[in-house]
Amino acid sequence: MKQPQFILTTMLLVATTTSSAATIEMTVNGLVCGFCAQGIEKKLKKYPATAEVVVNLEHHLVAVSLKEGQDIGDADLRKALTDAGYTVKSIERTDTPIADVRAKLKQAGP
Amino acid sequence: MSRLPIHLAGALALAGPLSAIAKPIAYAEGTTVMAEYSAGTMQELQIFYAPRFDYSVGGGHVDFTSDEDSQSAHITYTRLNWLAHRWNLDAAQANVFVWGGVGFATGNSFSGSIFTGNAGGQADYETRRVYASLKTDLQRSSQFSDRVDTLQLGVAPYEHEYGGLATWFVFQARHYTNNVHSGIEAAALLRFFRGGAWVEAGVTNDGKLQAMAMFNF
Repeated sequence: MKQPQFILTTMLLVATTTSSAATIEMTVNGLVCGFCAQGIEKKLKKYPATAEVVVNLEHHLVAVSLKEGQDIGDADLRKALTDAGYTVKSIERTDTPIADVRAKLKQAGP
Repeated sequence: MSRLPIHLAGALALAGPLSAIAKPIAYAEGTTVMAEYSAGTMQELQIFYAPRFDYSVGGGHVDFTSDEDSQSAHITYTRLNWLAHRWNLDAAQANVFVWGGVGFATGNSFSGSIFTGNAGGQADYETRRVYASLKTDLQRSSQFSDRVDTLQLGVAPYEHEYGGLATWFVFQARHYTNNVHSGIEAAALLRFFRGGAWVEAGVTNDGKLQAMAMFNF
């Protein structure tokens, strides 16, 4: 009986971890102009799981906040940005609300 | 990616006649509309749709009027633009575009409507502070061959952020074949863009207006 309980607990933990990734932060190469940002924003907003997109040219950052309980896989994100013509350097999932990401970027300045 | 091709593209963009016009592909699933008025010798309107980031299809209309002998040509064309290569760097982007298409032309030095072919290319290098672009664009028919080579070098007084206003000071040098304009036409331009809209205007060394507007959506 203990093994099924362990598996169930592990599954719940994994599910909780996945759904708690409020924001996905990606560093992207080639992000130098407003038109680049516009194209990326348009592409990422097409995902039903996307709540909000923040693009910052100074830090080469693309941040996506997810709707409650939804997710976009790393492979999908990487493909979306590659298909948009850019190179993804890193993908990081954080619990930081996108408002805080925006505030942090504003504070960091150009 | 090797740094050598990037340096070559940058050097090409800075050394030869380059692109004055913005990129023919803005982004995947985006539509680009461009209108340019060039000192009374060339007016052009283009519209392109990009199904993917690396190609776009569309067409345009261009009028050439010689300021030497008043000969004119009016060309309506379709075109395929292809992003042959892109280099995505940490804080820069470089591109090589090529294009080609067909159309028809009328003019005051020949009768009727004649078949035309067009071909060209553009190499550009861009950071948030500097921009260089070299473009060559050929319209050819049995009656004329008009090629326009354009070099643009731009400097931004500040690094713009997405959503904010971008400002660029641009120097442009342009060479026309077929007696459209004698010598090199130089122009100083002021460019602004914000969101999907871009406008630029300036004056040539002959004191004539040079202007362009572009919209991406």
